[in-house]
Amino acid sequence: MTKLTVLIFAVMAAVFLGVVAYDLARAKKTHTQFHIKHCAVGFLMIGPAVVLSFVFIMLPILFSLGYAFTDYQLLTPDKVKFIGFDNIADIFKEIFSGGELLTAIKNTAIFVVCVVPLQIIMALGLALFCSRKVRGAAIFKVCFFAPVVISLTVTSYLWLTILDPAETGLFNSLLGAFGIPPQDFLRDPDTAMLWIVLLSAWQGCGYQMLIFLSGLTNIRSDLYEAARLDGANAWKRFVNITVPGLKSSVLYITITVFIGACRIMVQPMLMTGYQEHTVTLSYFMYKQGYDFGFVGKSSAVALLMTIFIGLITFIQKKVLSEK
Amino acid sequence: MNKILKIIGAVACVAVVASGIPAWVSGAEDGESSGGNTVVSVMFHVSTSSKEGQAYKKRIDAFNEHYKEQKIKAQATYIPRTSGSSANETALTAMKSEGTLPDIITFDSPKCSYYASKDILYNITNMVSDIKDEFIASSINYYEDKIYGLPVQESSAGFYYNKNLFRQAGISDKEISEYGDETPWTYTEFLSVCERLSSVCSTSAVDMRFKATTDETAPYLLYPFVYASGGEFCSKDGNTVTGFFDSDETASAFGFFKTLLDKKYSSYTVDANDFYNGKVGMFLSSGWTIPDLRNKNYTAFPGGEGWGLLPYPYEAEGKAASATGSWSFGITDNHHKDKTAARMLLRWLVTDESSQVITEHTGMISAKKAVNEGRYADGSPEAMLLKQLATTGKSRPAMVGYAVLSTTFNQVINDLEKSSDIKSFLTEKARTMQATIKDY
Amino acid sequence: MKKKKVLLDGSGNEITVVKKSSRRVVVNVIYYTCGAVLSLFFLFPLIYMLAVSTKSDASIAASAGTLEMFLPDFKNIGSMFSNYKKLFVEYEIGKYALNSIRYAIIVIVLNVIINGLAGYVLAKFRIPGKNFFTFIILFLIVVPVETSIVPLYMIVKQLLNIKGTASILGIILPATISVFNMFLFMQFFQGIPKDYEEAARMDGAGNLAIFFKIILPLSKPIVATVAVFCFIGVWNDYLWPTMILVNYPDLMPIQSALTTIQSIEGITTGEVMASLVITSIPIFIVYVAAQKYIVQGFGTAGLKV
Repeated sequence: MTKLTVLIFAVMAAVFLGVVAYDLARAKKTHTQFHIKHCAVGFLMIGPAVVLSFVFIMLPILFSLGYAFTDYQLLTPDKVKFIGFDNIADIFKEIFSGGELLTAIKNTAIFVVCVVPLQIIMALGLALFCSRKVRGAAIFKVCFFAPVVISLTVTSYLWLTILDPAETGLFNSLLGAFGIPPQDFLRDPDTAMLWIVLLSAWQGCGYQMLIFLSGLTNIRSDLYEAARLDGANAWKRFVNITVPGLKSSVLYITITVFIGACRIMVQPMLMTGYQEHTVTLSYFMYKQGYDFGFVGKSSAVALLMTIFIGLITFIQKKVLSEK
Repeated sequence: MNKILKIIGAVACVAVVASGIPAWVSGAEDGESSGGNTVVSVMFHVSTSSKEGQAYKKRIDAFNEHYKEQKIKAQATYIPRTSGSSANETALTAMKSEGTLPDIITFDSPKCSYYASKDILYNITNMVSDIKDEFIASSINYYEDKIYGLPVQESSAGFYYNKNLFRQAGISDKEISEYGDETPWTYTEFLSVCERLSSVCSTSAVDMRFKATTDETAPYLLYPFVYASGGEFCSKDGNTVTGFFDSDETASAFGFFKTLLDKKYSSYTVDANDFYNGKVGMFLSSGWTIPDLRNKNYTAFPGGEGWGLLPYPYEAEGKAASATGSWSFGITDNHHKDKTAARMLLRWLVTDESSQVITEHTGMISAKKAVNEGRYADGSPEAMLLKQLATTGKSRPAMVGYAVLSTTFNQVINDLEKSSDIKSFLTEKARTMQATIKDY
Repeated sequence: MKKKKVLLDGSGNEITVVKKSSRRVVVNVIYYTCGAVLSLFFLFPLIYMLAVSTKSDASIAASAGTLEMFLPDFKNIGSMFSNYKKLFVEYEIGKYALNSIRYAIIVIVLNVIINGLAGYVLAKFRIPGKNFFTFIILFLIVVPVETSIVPLYMIVKQLLNIKGTASILGIILPATISVFNMFLFMQFFQGIPKDYEEAARMDGAGNLAIFFKIILPLSKPIVATVAVFCFIGVWNDYLWPTMILVNYPDLMPIQSALTTIQSIEGITTGEVMASLVITSIPIFIVYVAAQKYIVQGFGTAGLKV
């Protein structure tokens, strides 16, 4: 491992020096100068961050992508062989033959497609609700934000108890009062994922609400005044002033919620265990990597997932920025 | 004022952080020798606050006392196993890569093949050849015909039943005694009991533990039914599952489970508390439950009375199996190349005396034949389990990819209700499993 | 004689106050009702969590299906906090909470300094090769971190050889570097006018002095935001510490300990809920205290992705 690290470091250092050389050359052409002492201090100040991010962020990512091309198994870290694109070939084979990976992709896709719009709309609605300049708004803000405070683990355990299939579970006892028999919400393949979507949005939207709120405060109020004087109603004001004004917030939120949604793992793991109707990509990767020990294969899935997420993020940025 | 608050805050923070330093500085030493002693390290899968942990601690102390003059010291760590992500296994990986694997570990017996094939465990065949006949034969852990583990204790399981509910359902004491004796009950008789129980039980007739599919519990308790139906999980060498997992016989075992679900004798939602509260007539569980029922004064069993234990039903004459397998001790293939001290500690931990102490604390059956002799009163639940162990006990398949099998088993149980064609469902699952385990 | 409050304008003339129209009142009523219903939707699981945390298994079963589900166990007031007592005394949850707090304090201090300095350089300094760093940051923000747990683990254990109790460094060090926080700092500092720095430089202040004495005090919102994110990150982190500290359960932070506690045999639902409450309260306090800063922090940082 040490040798590889040194190699990677050497490559990155070379690229960096290349950029430096380029900058120096360009500075010469435009007759501007870099102050040596200033630069030295600058490099020193950024140094710790560079070292730490190289060791703890870049290296793991690069290794992880590298494992994708090996047959690394968890309990034998000393016996690692390079196998090229075999893992990736296996993955495509499994997807096309309808294996578990395909199910995981499907479930993750359902989750993402449902939770992203839901959470954004909820957050926007709540933000608009709380931006009204009345007394209670601040209290409502705290209330809507409260679920964000509890971690995903806690959320999962909490909702597990609420959705308890026994008669004495929270929802089931309420249903029982109406004469409806107790439901097994998380076992029913049609509804399990939807419940996970709902509770995930419940937990997360308060955070995006705050971001929207800060975006709303940046919209100049005189724009609204002018619109009101022109006779525009609330809906017109919303579409023509609020929405464009929140563009950067929407872009940021869409990207972050999307990325977060693709990585969902804790909720299915703690609430349903490894079941076909709730297994997600990250959970699949975790199971393959840790419980079964196939780190190579798990990394290959991670690599493909990263590429995919990166592509979608890039597309989102292009599309939403132009609007 | 603000400044004072800031200073107080800063001082408080420093104090809080500093208070942790003592704990950070004192660490466990991985010493080849400590104070002139040869240190042999062992890792247990329970915490010292549990009964089992206390038993292990007693035996370690006794070992150190016994071997004080020979300057050998045992050092124990206790990493409790948690449900969900396996912290115990993560610990092993951590230590292997750090080079700090303890000399002896405890492991869940179905994992033997996996650990042995990955060089975590050390071949102890020659170290224990003289004592291996003292054990119940099926409980010794083999991989490729070599011994890699010796059991801490054995286990068996059965159907605990609520005497009151049985009486209400019209099941006579005579009938019960027939089910538990020389020729235990059959699937047909089992179903008949369930039928009568459903009319008096508020939840279900029996808790088949279909809910316990998040870890090894459900596979452990339910796998014997597959063997009883004449089915298999995999080939002898553990490398092939297609043709075995999806055989007709295996499918019929799962079919039996489905029948129980379809007739509403059991369900996915019933759990242990329902039995303890008297809502369920029968409860499939291991010997672990015996001390609980005796001591915890559950609503339905005040004073530890009012319950009984029945064995696994037979599919037919001669076709039966019951659950076995517990945790085992093994020596690791770690950096200490001299295994003398490890050998001594291992042999100490599996003596009759150790087994006696440990099983007294846990209430489980000993894996050593001598300890079991005459230990249990006739007609006691333990005696029934012991007899069952001897006659129908069959251990889980020795597969390197057991983790995959266990996960798949749980998935099958969960999907039983909806699947109409069990056999093709199993074929599909076997195919996926095969594709996964081929990489081992 | 009752004194009537009278409003006067600039020249001392009385202003007649126009009564709120009834339409306004209706809108307000609708608003507050909706708000209350929505709040209930967001709060009911938390209320339920609090209520169950005070109950024993028997009273949970007894109150099922009634409104009492949401109320603390007033019937057994004496034992209302027995679950909590058990958690603190028998399961020593306080010890693990303290661990988390210790790690959080260290991480916050280091995180703000290291990422703040980096963000400052990226925002304000003219150095060759700066684009290299900026590009890498943007790239790293997109890549999901979860995929790299195994290699990170190997790096910590094998490459860096962090063993024994020094393993807590394995928790602290990776948490001190956060590309996202660096990005936030960078955006925020870009918004600080150059004049402050230039004035200080003319007074002869060195770069480090400028950073600590001028820039940071001006950046209270973003520092508060980053501190809050760090605290929450450390407090809620579950998987990674469990893996790194698996040999040293005493040093585990609170979420890892939570999982261990919840799988202890015989733990009751009430105790589980109480443990969840205990782990959530500090975060709640931190968030409520700092939400003003967070809104400010995001607003001024501007979200130019």
